Amino acid sequence: MAGQAQENSSLSTVVADVAGGVALALDGEGGSYALSALLAQRDTVALAAIRVLGADVLAPYALNGGAVRGGSDAPDSQVVRRALAAYPPGADASDVSLWSYRGLVEASRAFLPPGGEDWPVEPQAGDTWVRTDPWPKLAHRASQLAALSLPGLAPGLAAGLAARTDDLARGFVRAVRRRDWLQAAGLGRWLVRMPDVPDTLGLEAGLVFVHRMSGGDPRVSLHASAARCFPGGSR
Amino acid sequence: MSIRTTDAGRAHPDAELLDGVVTGALQWLDSMRGAFRLPADVATDADPNTTLKPLGELAELAQVLHALHPVAPVREAAADLFAFAWKETRDGELFAELVRGEPAGTYPVELYGVFARAGLRHPGAEELIGATTALRRWRVARDDHTRTLGVLNAEARVGLPPHARFDAVLACTGLGRCSEPWALDRKAAYGITHDVFHTTDWGRAPGRLPAPLADYLRLWLPAWTESWSEEQLWDLVGEFLAVSACLPDAPYDAGAWRRLAAARTPDGALPEIGDPPRRDADQQAVFTACYHSTLVAAFAATLARAAAPAALPQESERTP
Repeated sequence: MAGQAQENSSLSTVVADVAGGVALALDGEGGSYALSALLAQRDTVALAAIRVLGADVLAPYALNGGAVRGGSDAPDSQVVRRALAAYPPGADASDVSLWSYRGLVEASRAFLPPGGEDWPVEPQAGDTWVRTDPWPKLAHRASQLAALSLPGLAPGLAAGLAARTDDLARGFVRAVRRRDWLQAAGLGRWLVRMPDVPDTLGLEAGLVFVHRMSGGDPRVSLHASAARCFPGGSR
Repeated sequence: MSIRTTDAGRAHPDAELLDGVVTGALQWLDSMRGAFRLPADVATDADPNTTLKPLGELAELAQVLHALHPVAPVREAAADLFAFAWKETRDGELFAELVRGEPAGTYPVELYGVFARAGLRHPGAEELIGATTALRRWRVARDDHTRTLGVLNAEARVGLPPHARFDAVLACTGLGRCSEPWALDRKAAYGITHDVFHTTDWGRAPGRLPAPLADYLRLWLPAWTESWSEEQLWDLVGEFLAVSACLPDAPYDAGAWRRLAAARTPDGALPEIGDPPRRDADQQAVFTACYHSTLVAAFAATLARAAAPAALPQESERTP
């Protein structure tokens, strides 16, 4: 039990470190970005952290329309390949886990150098829930998949969620009320890309509020920075 | 008291649940008449929050039930409670005493308006109110715009000239400003529900709600109802359900209604927050914990019943 707790704690520390590094890079304050440079060690915890953050570990490479492919000397490609190999979705994986894995594969294909080796095939991930989930559950899942809101990834998922803009906006309200800053920020990322976000939501002010209220949580900072870097809505 | 609703029309698809909430509430409120009775020192030393406020709320909401509920025995039981409340004011004599004691106070006028609206009047009280509300002092802006809407509504009920423009005051409220829906705390949420109640004369005139504000409410009420249901603040959930019934087409949240109904005590009371009071709790404590939310539940169920949506939407399930 103690060992498990320690491992979880060190995983959350590595996740926070990487998220903080991604946020700085998105804000243009981190110099040139390299995922591999953020990982102090290359153990299973580092690989798990990549799997937790998914496509977001490559978010800085999506800046400028993905023109600058990351890691030409290939250490980023190597470490992402190892993470994908170490933590494939199991036979009973949830849709969220499948989508998150899929997002990391899609982002690798889009933002990392092709190299000699093929990336894993994207697994099929169910999307019935996008149409049928009641809004609180939809919002919770969408927020867990906020990394897939990076430009060019999962266009079908993005379109399905855009059809439920009002429901995601309600989820944002509920998440802020619950002081679930991470869920709120993740939803905010989807919402900034949607053309029909209700004016009365006050999304821009809401994202600033959530970021400040989170007290510097690096994962919230990552979402807030990504929301600033990758807007796509009408406002 | 026993109220039969079986002979009533079933126009609302959830009529059985809604009527169960109303009849349970009315029976409990009837059994609590003793706690609503005003003490002898009501116009002098008694705390208005535990004396006048509950009786005024009983009168306000019983009168809505009486006016709008489609089931005759419910209307009759509500009328009986309303008559009881008027009797407690000694046929309005109380209001003359209250105005004499506090000439600049708004609450005697607001309370009197509840009865005046129903045609129950007291000439002496009305002469005094005419004198106090004609002053420039009465027109000084109050710091709570929502409360000012209540005063304006009371003025209309009594037949006094309005001391300010209703729409201008409404524009300054939480509802009028369309507050960011995620930024509401409990007080601001109650402010918005009361902005609606004063604007619509407690659900009697839903058409008075300006369309942009109705759109704002339609969009965000599901989030607020869900959020405060999770916190088990049943009193506020009941107010949101009442507000929903004031919107065009009265969107009906079947899941929220089921959770609210399940939070009631076996004898029909709804606790303001959380679980029902313990069975061995003293009666005054039970009254304080339940009276307002129980009135609100009956009020909301009446507005929902009177509005009658076409079909029940699906319920939502719990989510982290």
